[in-house]
Amino acid sequence: MNENTTISSDVIEELSNRYLLFKIDDAYYGLSLTSVREIISVPKITDIPGTPDYVKGIINLRGGVVPVIDVRLKFAMPEREYDSQTCIVVLDVHDTSVGLIVDRVSEVVTVEQEQLVAPPDMGDVVSNYLDSVSEIADKIVLNIDCVKFLEQDVNSLQL
Amino acid sequence: MGIVEPGMEAMLDVFVHETDTMLEELDEVLIDSEKAHNIDDDNINTIFRITHTIKGSAAMMNFEGMSNLAHSVEDVFYILRDNPEKLKIVFDTIFDLVFQSSDFLKDELNQIRTGVYEPSDPSDLIDKIHGQVAVLKGEAEPETVKSAASDNAGAVIEADEDSETLHIFFDDGCQMENIRGFMIVNQLEKICDSVKTVPANIETDPETAAEIEKKGLFITIKPADALQEAIETVESALSVKSYEVVAKGEQSEAPAEKEAVAEAAPAEAKAETKTEEVAKEVAAAKQAAPAPQANKKAKELNKVIAKENAKQSLLSVNQAKLDKLMDLVGEIVTTESMVARNPDIQDLKLDNFTKSLRELDKLTDELQDIVMSIRMVPLQGTFHKMSRIVRDMSKKLDKKVELVTIGEDTEVDKTINDAIVDPLMHMVRNSVDHAIETPERRRELGKPETGTVTLYARNAGGEILIDITDDGSGLDAQKLIAKAKEKGILTKPESEYTEKEAFQLIMAAGFSTNTAVTEFSGRGVGMDVVRKNIEQINGSISIHSVKDEGTTFTIKIPLTIAIVDGMNIGVGNNIFTLPITSIKQLFRLSDESSIIRNTNGAEMIMIRGECYPIYRLHKVFGIGDTEKPFTEGLLIHVESGNGNACFFADELLGEYQVVVKPFPVLFNHYGLKKMGLSGCSILGDGSISLIIDAATLISNNK
Repeated sequence: MNENTTISSDVIEELSNRYLLFKIDDAYYGLSLTSVREIISVPKITDIPGTPDYVKGIINLRGGVVPVIDVRLKFAMPEREYDSQTCIVVLDVHDTSVGLIVDRVSEVVTVEQEQLVAPPDMGDVVSNYLDSVSEIADKIVLNIDCVKFLEQDVNSLQL
Repeated sequence: MGIVEPGMEAMLDVFVHETDTMLEELDEVLIDSEKAHNIDDDNINTIFRITHTIKGSAAMMNFEGMSNLAHSVEDVFYILRDNPEKLKIVFDTIFDLVFQSSDFLKDELNQIRTGVYEPSDPSDLIDKIHGQVAVLKGEAEPETVKSAASDNAGAVIEADEDSETLHIFFDDGCQMENIRGFMIVNQLEKICDSVKTVPANIETDPETAAEIEKKGLFITIKPADALQEAIETVESALSVKSYEVVAKGEQSEAPAEKEAVAEAAPAEAKAETKTEEVAKEVAAAKQAAPAPQANKKAKELNKVIAKENAKQSLLSVNQAKLDKLMDLVGEIVTTESMVARNPDIQDLKLDNFTKSLRELDKLTDELQDIVMSIRMVPLQGTFHKMSRIVRDMSKKLDKKVELVTIGEDTEVDKTINDAIVDPLMHMVRNSVDHAIETPERRRELGKPETGTVTLYARNAGGEILIDITDDGSGLDAQKLIAKAKEKGILTKPESEYTEKEAFQLIMAAGFSTNTAVTEFSGRGVGMDVVRKNIEQINGSISIHSVKDEGTTFTIKIPLTIAIVDGMNIGVGNNIFTLPITSIKQLFRLSDESSIIRNTNGAEMIMIRGECYPIYRLHKVFGIGDTEKPFTEGLLIHVESGNGNACFFADELLGEYQVVVKPFPVLFNHYGLKKMGLSGCSILGDGSISLIIDAATLISNNK
């Protein structure tokens, strides 16, 4: 834990311009690198009774228990068989770790502040979780706001 | 950071931790002393040492305010150390000031800890303390001392050249202190020319018993030479808790000290610590008295030294390291079973290997026990904090409240200890603020003016019970229900609430019985937060109350939340762990003849003439085949505080020791605890099992 928290502010600043891109179907989504801890393949997931569908359960990450959320289901998209490309992006948000199941991760890109535009409100589920939209090398990337994405779950735990 | 100069950050942690520990010790000493209405030499020295150290280290860290304040307190005790009898002049003021100083230092420390430090200015406080120092210095004339002391009955010491005064305390609750005192006086009269006591007339006046109980008995004997013999007499008397030789007034002190040691040792400076005092006495005794006595004294001396050594051999460790150690030991235990049950060696006959494995098993068990015991701390510290709160509140609220603590040496895991401080504090505050009535009201009700709040901790099996009892106004079930109705938090018709359920209402969110917000409690976030905090460590609270007689809150918490002995059972694709303590029996059915089906679909089973409900875990958790015939699975007879029942699962996977991990916080609002899942655990093969809390599961499905 300590090593993680002592990252100097320079590094964080450098990271905040960089985004990890992942794909669901053919759309690109971005996650700020500051909150990404690691990317792993999908291990055995233990189902937790009484939780919504998009919460797939918990995994054992080197002795730690990490909850995983299926991004497809959270975005109200149809479920899809996991394949060799499917992986889990582990995030650190509000001092807790959460894994996101995505179809595949693509690359890490640097996005300058001016390349970001406010997301349009399309009135669908996805727009609720967006931070910004950027256009990088012909790709439209929807950048996800990790806090908003987990808001329902994270907020309730601060009660 | 900027709080300290660069390069000092590492020191800061140490400073904060050490100062914190010392301030806690200071509070303890102060509260004990205030109760006894006297500070003995030991305690004066302790306070002096603490303030002196804080002064030094704060100055080193450049915290001027803290250092100055500590310095001024040190000044007070510097004077008192040499002239303890002067304390009587300023007793109450000094205590208040020292408590305030301790609070100020704690506030500063807290700010430093959080990283945003705005030095506050303690000069007001320092001025007040200096005022008291002036009083101490200025009124050094013996006349003043005497006149001031005479109001304070029990403290008049006649400063006679040829006399010695003993201050004796009897065992708590031994009763008839006056008669016990008189018996000692009787014996002393045989060896002394004259014996005087404060309070006087102890033989004839039974009222003096209470006074002696509080302030102790002062016995002045003449001549001073008889002191040794007198001490022996007192030591051999029944029910004497402690005694001390009272130093005389300033002028008479030095010669008196000399007299006591005169025949043997050359006159030394006044004893500064108990060790020295005893050492001197040993020296005196060795030459002046026969050998056995010397031995006795030497033993006493050894005891004092041993006590100091014991203090030194303690080591404070960063809790994060202990947590890590605990985790590691947990991993070792799981890895061990991973090796022992490795599928590769399952069918091999390995005698030597099995032997070594058993050895390893024994060692890891021992290791686990040790690590657990390291983390166990007595509740003492927590309880002491409470006495401080009660003291402050009763002064501010003008109520008379006494805190009684029982079983403070009960040990709990450090995490649990930390987790219950806040809830306990809140409940004690509630008791003093809301429950205990004003002295006038209490008199009207025919209760003793002084209210009592009792903290009673005890060990019951694998659980710790803590009672918080007050003899205050008690809860009024009708009022509670009316209030809950007003707030709209009733969940069923009023008439259906039992008294017990009505009491539970005060722990519902958004409920606060006191409309007035006071400094200490009544913000309406009270008991529901307490309940949440307790539930977070798998504890529970129950309430018992009688109107106008008082209320008892009983907190039930587990001894440790770390490791559980459990049976792993399979249900669908999931693995569950059921703590062995709740399992009565496991069995399979060959036919369903003992199964009883209710018209509403509820299933029950007859076991040895008793009927128990069956809960299909598949149904409870919504996994797997919910209609499986009972003959194809496993039945587990479970007993819990909420009744007995049978659970139905698919198969038994074996007995394991599992390290309990809490569910990730993300799941907090899905009510897993209510559903009967208390946590999860990582098994030897890396898969995860969910731990079942039988009691909650049963009460939830009733």
